[in-house]
Amino acid sequence: MAEEVLRMQGITKIYPNGFMANKDVTFGIGAKEIHALVGENGAGKTTLMKILFGMEDCQNGQIFINGKEEKIANPLDAIAKGVGMVHQHFMLLPSLTVAENVVLGVEPMKNGLFDFEGAVKSTQEIADKYNFKVDATARVSTLSVGQMQKVEILKALIKGAKILILDEPTAVLTPQETEELFEQLFHLRDSGVSVIFISHKLEEVMRICSRVTVLRHGECMGTYDTKDLDESKISRLMVGRDVILKIEKEDPKPDKPILEIKNLRRFNSFGKPVIDGVTFTVRSGEVVGIAGVEGNGQSELSEVLAGLSGFAEGDVVLNGKSIRGLSVRQIRDNGMAYIAEDRMVEGVAGDMSIEMNIMADRFTKQNYKTGLFINSAKMREETLKLIKDFEILCDSPDQPVRMLSGGNIQKVVVAREFTSGANFILANQPTRGIDVGTAEMIRKTIVRKSREEGTCTVLISADLNEVLECSDRLLVMRKGKVVAAFPKANEVSEDTLGEYMLGIKAMTPEQMEGLL
Amino acid sequence: MNKTQRIEAIMEVVRILAGMAIAYLVALLILIAFSNDPVFIVKQFILGPFSSPRRIGSIINLAVPFTLCGLSMCFMYAVNKFNLIGESIFMLSGCIITFIGLKIGANMPAVILVPLLLLIGAAIGAALSFIPAIMDRKLNANVVVVSLMLNAVITQLAIYILRYFMKDPGISFIGSHETHAAMQLPTILGKMRVGSGVIIALIFVAVISIIFFKTSFGWKMRIVGSNPKFATAVGLSTLGISFAAQLAGGALAGVAGATEIMNSYKRFQWTASTGHGFDGLLVAVLAKKNPILVPFGALFLAYIRIGADVVNTSGDIPNEFISVIQGIIILLVAAESFLSGFKNKLIYRSVQAEKAGRKDK
Repeated sequence: MAEEVLRMQGITKIYPNGFMANKDVTFGIGAKEIHALVGENGAGKTTLMKILFGMEDCQNGQIFINGKEEKIANPLDAIAKGVGMVHQHFMLLPSLTVAENVVLGVEPMKNGLFDFEGAVKSTQEIADKYNFKVDATARVSTLSVGQMQKVEILKALIKGAKILILDEPTAVLTPQETEELFEQLFHLRDSGVSVIFISHKLEEVMRICSRVTVLRHGECMGTYDTKDLDESKISRLMVGRDVILKIEKEDPKPDKPILEIKNLRRFNSFGKPVIDGVTFTVRSGEVVGIAGVEGNGQSELSEVLAGLSGFAEGDVVLNGKSIRGLSVRQIRDNGMAYIAEDRMVEGVAGDMSIEMNIMADRFTKQNYKTGLFINSAKMREETLKLIKDFEILCDSPDQPVRMLSGGNIQKVVVAREFTSGANFILANQPTRGIDVGTAEMIRKTIVRKSREEGTCTVLISADLNEVLECSDRLLVMRKGKVVAAFPKANEVSEDTLGEYMLGIKAMTPEQMEGLL
Repeated sequence: MNKTQRIEAIMEVVRILAGMAIAYLVALLILIAFSNDPVFIVKQFILGPFSSPRRIGSIINLAVPFTLCGLSMCFMYAVNKFNLIGESIFMLSGCIITFIGLKIGANMPAVILVPLLLLIGAAIGAALSFIPAIMDRKLNANVVVVSLMLNAVITQLAIYILRYFMKDPGISFIGSHETHAAMQLPTILGKMRVGSGVIIALIFVAVISIIFFKTSFGWKMRIVGSNPKFATAVGLSTLGISFAAQLAGGALAGVAGATEIMNSYKRFQWTASTGHGFDGLLVAVLAKKNPILVPFGALFLAYIRIGADVVNTSGDIPNEFISVIQGIIILLVAAESFLSGFKNKLIYRSVQAEKAGRKDK
């Protein structure tokens, strides 16, 4: 390793809710290095990087850049000191052009006005310098996710970033786009930029990084040369045991159809179809996975199935009854349970107690009442039982949900949805951003309920491992359509899936016949 | 309760008390700056409200409408709709129940007349509150704007009714005829001369606390107010519930207006908006939209108002300076991150101590 360009020493961060995200973390990166920061979801990777980028303050610790101690007050300060960050969720203005997005904050001026030509020119220059192929005059809203990411990287580079933080950059990319990103990262490294690569995809880390720093539960487990490691060693450092990625399950015995989606179409406010003629049936006892790059109609489909949005054409029939025009309450009473994509938005009310959150879908029912009043004793009893069954770590049922960790919040969600008595479970990103143990419990419960209780499940997930292992059948969505269907999810390779997700291949209706 | 929760709870109280203490300090500084006899005035301001049983009674009497209006705002606030229509409901309700009371109350016993008039007040409140609530629900019109505009209209309506249909020509000021004895609530607690309206207020505190915490409607309101998207996703009718809560809040403002007339007045004589609706908002904020805490917020507000009155009558300070103090209190109590840095530091320390302790074991 050459000289060290960045050192974070003894960083400790405690959030106002008492959660200790980083504990005495120390790590350093060298010049011209791609350095991996790995750890489970919730291990404190993003927090550590937010501290480096000035978005969070820390209670303890020092940051050295090129050997000099620096206090980083805010992101502008970080940029001035040569640190750039590409967030997991892009921070772009979609209605502006690439050039306008890139120069934001360092706008070239001519005669006191914004110099668009100059912006295009300097964007093109920096793109050429680092070998990025983007059209500086294109509107960001017309770009693919992979191209947007390039714009994000260019944004950092044009401000002179010498240390570039990439927070799970490949999570939103198809396998092919990932390859392209790696080429660019190598190029960046060779031209003198140090890259911090946050990921939990270990094979990627092994391929492109020279060293790895592992975080576990907010603590640093050490920095290693990748040549001394292999994937199973890293995973042991990360979780203290080998991650079991296989889910043992019997073959499904699909029975009568529970959910029938017929030629469903939905349009956005601009009249563009966001769900474009989707047809498939889910039978009792099976789990149907829906894969796809995010933003290809999965969220919209989920909203329709959950009753949160209407649809223009076609029909959705649940347990023999069309859901058109029904309220969420009526659809739920007809057998639907819903694990929402963003648990803090639709999954829980953060300020309310655990008890209220678990009981939220059922306290209005007659058997939870005594006369005019709610039956507090019964609800308390049931809540305590569910807290125990789902191993929710908390002090009391009266604790506000927001005080729990992400995994425990999701346990509150599933404790409610898995016990509502529904025979159709709509699980949208059920394990996003939570610890491995809870994720495993949720996946196993989904499979177990389908096998033992005959529930049907639609599993929408961006986690390929999850859709491949947890699902029985697998569908791929692209641009609002189902473009591929596989009878056995665990026999599909990620590469094949990537080709369908990216649109390089698509199945014909004949090929998918009998699989929908 | 774990440590973090306990610190949050304690800091909540500390925050409110500190906000009040700062407001007091400012009030005292103003008094010292503008008064010729600051020591006397300061003493009057702090201790004056307790100097006679009559004054203590006045605090309680003043707290009665504050409590009812605070409860009314609890409903609005619970579903996150800052529907301020209570301000004019209070006035029109007082006007109409006086009008009806004068017409029908001559030979009615109090036990029938008082509840009947309260019911009429509630109906007026619910009906008026229906307007901004339905516009919010069906037309997506901002409740704050609609209710404020309507306040002006309804206030003028009440004044119109008073001037043209109720005015007693035999008195030197604008006011209705004297109400029948049956609708003048008797005083209790001897020398303190507390109106029995306080009993009505306390009954409502109890009933509404039960509604909030022990009925499914209360749960629904709290869930809708806390996270409407979540409420929708679990199958609650978010629009319907916030609509119903606004009607309930309006009904309570109507009860408040009716109670105030029967408790403290012999005539309807309001010729301008009374400000009780906004006082209710302040009380609800002080009470953190918890109906059980509303009477305490109301008593505190009544105490500083009486303090201001005492200073006003016995000193050389105008009544208006109280609005300055009120403003500071709202600012400091409603500003949720006031003292949050201090709170976070406490939490940080306790977590660190806890982790260190765990390691030792």
